[in-house]
Amino acid sequence: MMGLEEQVSSKGPVIVESSTPPVCSSCGKLVSPLEKGTKFLCPNCGSVTIWRCKMCREFNVKYVCPKCGFEGP
Amino acid sequence: MYYSADEKREFEKALASGKETIELLVPLDVYLAAGVHIGTHICSKHMEGFVYKLRPDGLYILNVRLIDERIRIAAKFLSRFETGSILAVSARQYGFEPVSKFAQLTGNKCLKGRFTPGTLTNPRLSSFIEADVVVVTDPRADIQALNEASKIGIPVIAISSTDNKLSGVDLVIPGNNKGRKSLAVVYWLLTRQLLREKGVLPPNGELQVSYEDFETKVGQ
Repeated sequence: MMGLEEQVSSKGPVIVESSTPPVCSSCGKLVSPLEKGTKFLCPNCGSVTIWRCKMCREFNVKYVCPKCGFEGP
Repeated sequence: MYYSADEKREFEKALASGKETIELLVPLDVYLAAGVHIGTHICSKHMEGFVYKLRPDGLYILNVRLIDERIRIAAKFLSRFETGSILAVSARQYGFEPVSKFAQLTGNKCLKGRFTPGTLTNPRLSSFIEADVVVVTDPRADIQALNEASKIGIPVIAISSTDNKLSGVDLVIPGNNKGRKSLAVVYWLLTRQLLREKGVLPPNGELQVSYEDFETKVGQ
């Protein structure tokens, strides 16, 4: 999730780019940028982005879509 | 013959016992005749949820309703990707023809036989393929494809039997991945449903080819 925020400094307006790090849908931990996790839209409803961290993929931890309740993998 | 009359009656009863009657993508006979529901003598912890019962001879039987449901979901999932960005992989000989037909009819890529290491990860390789999603026929036989997909962080769909582990898999299609007819039926259904989801075929449209054309011919 990226967002642009405009702040004003003594030299004029400054645009600060802020981002929310992704969270694993299975374990709730942050998915670091260098980690080989994956993201995809919910296979059933397609409206929610599901993130899976490397460990959850490896250990086959279940993920649940918060909208439709689909349980994967 | 993969099933007895008693077994078929039992399956029909189980399908009708649900709250609402679920219409399968193909008649139950097609699934049973192709042996899509036949598992193995081994059941992994990951696949326990898809098992319907354990036969007296020790063979695990997969739930036909879940197979049907998962094929629909997988097709819906694949339809969200651009045409040409899906890679179907099969190291199994019986999967060669089904993946070729799937790729040909849907306009995607397929990889049969040995998966050269680096195919998904090494852009300098002449056989390098860029894919957004990978469909594997057997997570055990196609382990190289699975590992490379994990490395580049793309989702993986796998046809898994009862003895498969699901490490690195993001969506499972339970089914018999060892049978010639079974693989043909699963890929045929996936192709038809994907084309229906994409709008190429009308909602109840049929493919020009039958599932028998997806079968690898013996002695080829």
